[in-house]
Amino acid sequence: MNRVSITPVLFAVALIWGAAVPVAQTGASETKEAVKPAPRSGIDFAAGRRLWAFQPVGHPQPPALADDSWSQQEVDRFILERLRQAGLQPAAAGDRRTLIRRAAFDLTGLPPENPTVEAFLQDPSPDAFGKAVDRLLASPHYGEHWARHWLDVARYSDTKGYVYAREEKQFVHAWRYRDWVVEALNEDMAYDRFLLLQMAADQVEPERSPHLAAMGFLTLGKRFLGVTHDIIDDRIDVVMRSTQALTVACARCHDHKFDPISIRDYYSLYGVFKSSAEKLVPSGEPGPANSAFDQELSSREEKLRSTLALRREEQSARVRATIAGHLEAQSELEKYPEEAFGQILYTADINPVFVRRWQQFLADAEQRQDPVFTPWFAYAKLKPDAFAAQSFGVMEGLSAKAGEEPAPLVVQAFATAPSSMKEVAERYGHLFAGVEQQWRELLKTDPSAKALPDPGAEALRRVLHGPHSPCSVPDEAIVNIEQFFPTDVIEELWKLQGEVDRWLIQSAEAPAHATILVDRAEPATPRVFKRGNPLTKGDAVPRRFLEVLSGDSPPPFAIGSGRLELARAIIAPGNPLTARVMVNRVWAHHFGAGLVPTPSDFGQRAGVPSHPGLLDWLARDFMDHGWSLKHLHRRILLSATWQQSSLRPSDPAAWHKALEVDPGNRLLWRMNPHRLGFEELRDAWLAASGELDRRMGGKPVDLLGSQLPRRTLYAYVDREDLSPVLRIFDFANPDLSIPQRSDTIVPQQALFSINHPFPAARAKALVERIESDSADPAQRVQHLYQRLLQRSPNADETKAALAFVQSGPAPPPVAQNALAWQYGYGEWDETAGRMKTFTPLPHFDGSAWQGAEGLPNAVLGWAQLTATGGHPGNDRQHTVVRRWTAPQDGSYAIHSTLVHQPEAGDGIRAFISHSGRGLLRSTRLQQGTEELNVEALPMQRGDTVDFIVDINEGLNSDQFLWAPKLTAVPVTAVAGATDGVRNETWDALKDFTGSAAQPLNGWQQLAQTLMLTNEFVFVD
Amino acid sequence: MSSPLPPLSRRDFLRRSGVGLGMLGLSDLLAESKAASSPGAGPHFAPKAKRVIHFFLNGGPSHVDTFDPKPALLKHAGQALPQNFLTERKTGAAFPSPFKFQRYGRSGIEVSELFAKTAQHIDDIAVIRSMQAQVPNHEPSLMLMNCGDSLQSRPSLGSWLMYGLGSENQNLPGFIAMCPGGYPIKGTENWQSAFLPGAHQGTFVDSQHTAVDRLIGNIRSPHAGPEDQRRQLDLLRTLNQAHRRERSDPRLDARLESFELAFRMQAEATDAFDTAGEPQHIRDLYGSGVHGRQTLIARRLLERGVRYVQLWHGAGQPWDHHDNIEVNHRKLAAEIDQPIAALLSDLKQRGLLEDTLVIWGGEFGRTPTVEMVGNTSKLGRDHNHYGFSIWMAGGGIKGGTIHGSTDEFGFAAVENPVSAHDLHATILHLMGLDHERLTYRYSGRDFRLTDVEGNIVRQILA
Repeated sequence: MNRVSITPVLFAVALIWGAAVPVAQTGASETKEAVKPAPRSGIDFAAGRRLWAFQPVGHPQPPALADDSWSQQEVDRFILERLRQAGLQPAAAGDRRTLIRRAAFDLTGLPPENPTVEAFLQDPSPDAFGKAVDRLLASPHYGEHWARHWLDVARYSDTKGYVYAREEKQFVHAWRYRDWVVEALNEDMAYDRFLLLQMAADQVEPERSPHLAAMGFLTLGKRFLGVTHDIIDDRIDVVMRSTQALTVACARCHDHKFDPISIRDYYSLYGVFKSSAEKLVPSGEPGPANSAFDQELSSREEKLRSTLALRREEQSARVRATIAGHLEAQSELEKYPEEAFGQILYTADINPVFVRRWQQFLADAEQRQDPVFTPWFAYAKLKPDAFAAQSFGVMEGLSAKAGEEPAPLVVQAFATAPSSMKEVAERYGHLFAGVEQQWRELLKTDPSAKALPDPGAEALRRVLHGPHSPCSVPDEAIVNIEQFFPTDVIEELWKLQGEVDRWLIQSAEAPAHATILVDRAEPATPRVFKRGNPLTKGDAVPRRFLEVLSGDSPPPFAIGSGRLELARAIIAPGNPLTARVMVNRVWAHHFGAGLVPTPSDFGQRAGVPSHPGLLDWLARDFMDHGWSLKHLHRRILLSATWQQSSLRPSDPAAWHKALEVDPGNRLLWRMNPHRLGFEELRDAWLAASGELDRRMGGKPVDLLGSQLPRRTLYAYVDREDLSPVLRIFDFANPDLSIPQRSDTIVPQQALFSINHPFPAARAKALVERIESDSADPAQRVQHLYQRLLQRSPNADETKAALAFVQSGPAPPPVAQNALAWQYGYGEWDETAGRMKTFTPLPHFDGSAWQGAEGLPNAVLGWAQLTATGGHPGNDRQHTVVRRWTAPQDGSYAIHSTLVHQPEAGDGIRAFISHSGRGLLRSTRLQQGTEELNVEALPMQRGDTVDFIVDINEGLNSDQFLWAPKLTAVPVTAVAGATDGVRNETWDALKDFTGSAAQPLNGWQQLAQTLMLTNEFVFVD
Repeated sequence: MSSPLPPLSRRDFLRRSGVGLGMLGLSDLLAESKAASSPGAGPHFAPKAKRVIHFFLNGGPSHVDTFDPKPALLKHAGQALPQNFLTERKTGAAFPSPFKFQRYGRSGIEVSELFAKTAQHIDDIAVIRSMQAQVPNHEPSLMLMNCGDSLQSRPSLGSWLMYGLGSENQNLPGFIAMCPGGYPIKGTENWQSAFLPGAHQGTFVDSQHTAVDRLIGNIRSPHAGPEDQRRQLDLLRTLNQAHRRERSDPRLDARLESFELAFRMQAEATDAFDTAGEPQHIRDLYGSGVHGRQTLIARRLLERGVRYVQLWHGAGQPWDHHDNIEVNHRKLAAEIDQPIAALLSDLKQRGLLEDTLVIWGGEFGRTPTVEMVGNTSKLGRDHNHYGFSIWMAGGGIKGGTIHGSTDEFGFAAVENPVSAHDLHATILHLMGLDHERLTYRYSGRDFRLTDVEGNIVRQILA
């Protein structure tokens, strides 16, 4: 399975070097695995099919067990049988409070609401839990939570990863795919249809269908700098691992090392995706026609469309005019590297893509003995050093062979023998130029002409203009065809595409769009890339499904790319993997581990399932019940197995035995405790504080740089720059299909929990709530416990909590200096020498105070204050103001250095103003540095000093550096003023903080502590 | 009630639970379910080096202007070379180095004036003059040099070291990437952990800042002082201990412990990043610029047990001098020559150089031919992945060595070419890891940093 690394270009290099440079090392990758012609396949598929995973799903009956009062569901009998075989017994059932909390987190990712808990605790009916489960399954939050599990597998991201600056890095409406998954799960869409739409909605749904969004599954992968082979590899990998739990991508370079998957299988699927093109399409009804939005969209789309059409035609014309060059290139192919080699190409350069198209075209022409090119092949067989001597008889020889007679025009062109291949290329070039000339002349007189009158000339014209012409650029979106153009054109076209994309991304009125795949008119017949190297093509293979799953001679796909047939093969009820894989995923999320421990790998090395009969029983039951996931959840949650306690068994002997026999709990002698993932943790904090914004769907939002209370599912996922918080909390890497997240415990998580403003703000909000609920401290503790842990505190806990609050928080020495500073904006009153208004800047982005996320932003333009300086707002009404408030009466010295560096613009104005005395200092500064100091300023407690900057006359390059320091001056001369004023310094740089908030009080600290407990974070 | 389980030692416990900001090696809690990927915890054999500092000259420093002198370029100045290789852009005639080369040390290795101070340590340095990458583009070459694959998402070298060895200091991140002014090209992908647990990824530090809370996220509380936090953590411990009584899950203790570590870390990290306590002569040695400070911080981190520190030159790709290389290379080299030389001296005087591996290099080199726009020379050089230089010094390295060579003009490696996989295999070897045994099971495969390649460059080993 270890593939030889895909180093196409390294190999290209080796070719380029040719004999000139020894390639000892570059050749290494070749020598490791001897280069030998790939056999049809060395795999014994019949033997391979004997693996349990490839066997048909059986119809197992749940075991009949004697003295079984424990089992509640068929599931339980499978579990109990294995436990008994191992001499183990199941744990006691969890108590009701545990079950409702567990069920709520398992199904909705949220804690149960207190009325739900109470209703369940009070419900005496025997199916009380069943009803509770039904209610949770009916909650729209169910879809949100389970969508995230699927999005991990689907390597979902709102962005493409690294792209060159020319390309918009955000996908258009990726979030529509996220919302589609949520809705599909909420409406309990049959899982087979769920998969079908994600792979082939374009073929089973009408235009503008909202289900087109499902295809984000295929298209929202990483962009891999536009390299086709890797984009396709990613699509093969995500489809085959998520639906079949097969690591087909391991067969990219050679047959799979362990599983019966051949390199031919891989390239069969490669062909399916190579025959599909990416397309951005509307996936909903259009908005009102002729709206301002619509007009702008049409104008941007038209500009893109017409420019793309023009550039395609120009590029084709250039190729038609340089046939000789493209033919000559065939004898030095090594100079035209594969697409991963990012060359900057100019207009006049021969583009490697066309060289390869010609290569393919000529190979096809040779096969069908195209009379236009038979001389080309004949000459090409001559050795260069003997060329002149041997080229004489070539034409005669050809004409003599039946079936190989060259076309008459070509015969004329080679009436005299050429002296080199270069000359052969030139003569062909000349010949084609003549035909092109004729064609243009004809079009002048007859613009509707379809062909040249002379059939000989027409055959040549078709090489230049026919449907299979190697000169043409496919009529597809830029994302598919950028490699056909010179670099400046690529940039131009991406810029125009970006204009369209951004208009759709930004506008609230934009109708839904989806990035889908559509079948190309001419499906490609894939060829095996030996050792994964596109430069060393092997046999052609048909597009078809995996051999191991489709009998000894898998029928080739017949419809278009074959993508629909691929999807159908996957969701066929006879497919042994699809249902098993999904029930195992669902099981794994409910129990913390799957019956097969590797949910995305059911191959040889996955080992056998812990309960093979149960896996098949569940898979069969799942299909028999219309592929309903909600049915499957019910089956699992209503089982005695799932309802077991996760606590340590009270009987030490049983405990010891269980640890000895099955320490990993594969047999499920108890429930596994569940640690909240990051989304659950953050959402649970918001739910407890009563702030959770339960609105569903829509554009992603910046949740980690802000205090927005949306569910974490809606956080912007940027795969190129994933928030460190997400990484630290083991969020699924959006570059890769992730079946199970890592589960690490590291202090960065603790640092976030205790120091980040987000949890602290939730603690404050929570306390505000319980304070309004009750004035009695013990009652408040009770409310805190209810809200956070869905239970009442015991006496010890109440006592500890009250003692904690009463001992009171220590004075906060760290924050005090920071508290003297405020960061705001407002209008400067020239005549009064004071601010007319002062409003705090509302948004802190992690390092700066400003109007909103991003700079400039719609709220306050460029206005910004950082630790070191900032930028004034866009006009004189929006100066930025760093305000310092005197904590004590006394005398203070101000020292500051104002710096303005840019040459452009007209510089800035700056003022220092005291609340009592007005203007203290002022300056206008451009490209300079100025000291602005005040030696001893008497102030009273509460007086303010403002440090103000505006744009001078115009907004242009107004960023500045200015971090003042204030020092308390000892005023020994003043009698009685010795107390309070120490020789203390307030330093704008050091004191700068994102939190203007007051420190947490005792209750808030208590609330935050409870939010961090293991009881909150682990679900029993 | 006493547990029938044998008590875990704290170290075992940490190892199993993954506690520790630096994370001890191999500590993924899912390790059991991925049991097949079971490389040994800690090194495979006695390491020569315990920590790494990597100066990454992003953008691609020119080898023919630094560590690979090519007098033949002078002879052919202004003339076309017999062979011109395909690179990203068009290049023209031979372009001799505008910088003077001189022999240094006992070994007499020639180094250009750009790194005259570093060259004072040449007898501790092994120069590899035959490095190769795969393509002449920054993005894939950065990925190759850092993660061993040009396009696929793979864990970075630092992440592999963290996975294999862990950190020696639980209170500091074990893998730190510092860059003044923001991200290099490809940003966090350069220090990604890919399929390895997120805690193994590099921690990014924008070294242009001076305040510690700007350097490391969440290192300081804006809303509670240390005494309050202590009170909170004491209460948390009490509550967690009561909760734990009926339960059995190593994660419960691990999480409890993680808060204590976080608390201690606040002080320790603050100290590690604060250079104010360094004596003046040491600060003078490194110089006052941002690179001097960044390098000095790096030394403080290494001393405290951080495993791998990567020092990037700056945001974007500062060494990418397509034009006017004489002025531009001179300026950047002047920024780091002194800090690098200072670090080598400082490590040596502290006895740390013998087990610290120092690496210098970029993602590729530059062409010996001049870059052209139409018929106009830009007096700069294009990217060159066919041959370039890097050097290593310190732990396990045979100083005063030259390994491999490029052709007479410096275009392509001809003698003993060294790939990124070879380099990675060598670095892992020096750190006590067998690159063929350091594997991780993901997607049905046992992945390695070196894929199926990599030969240790034994000629440069001491």
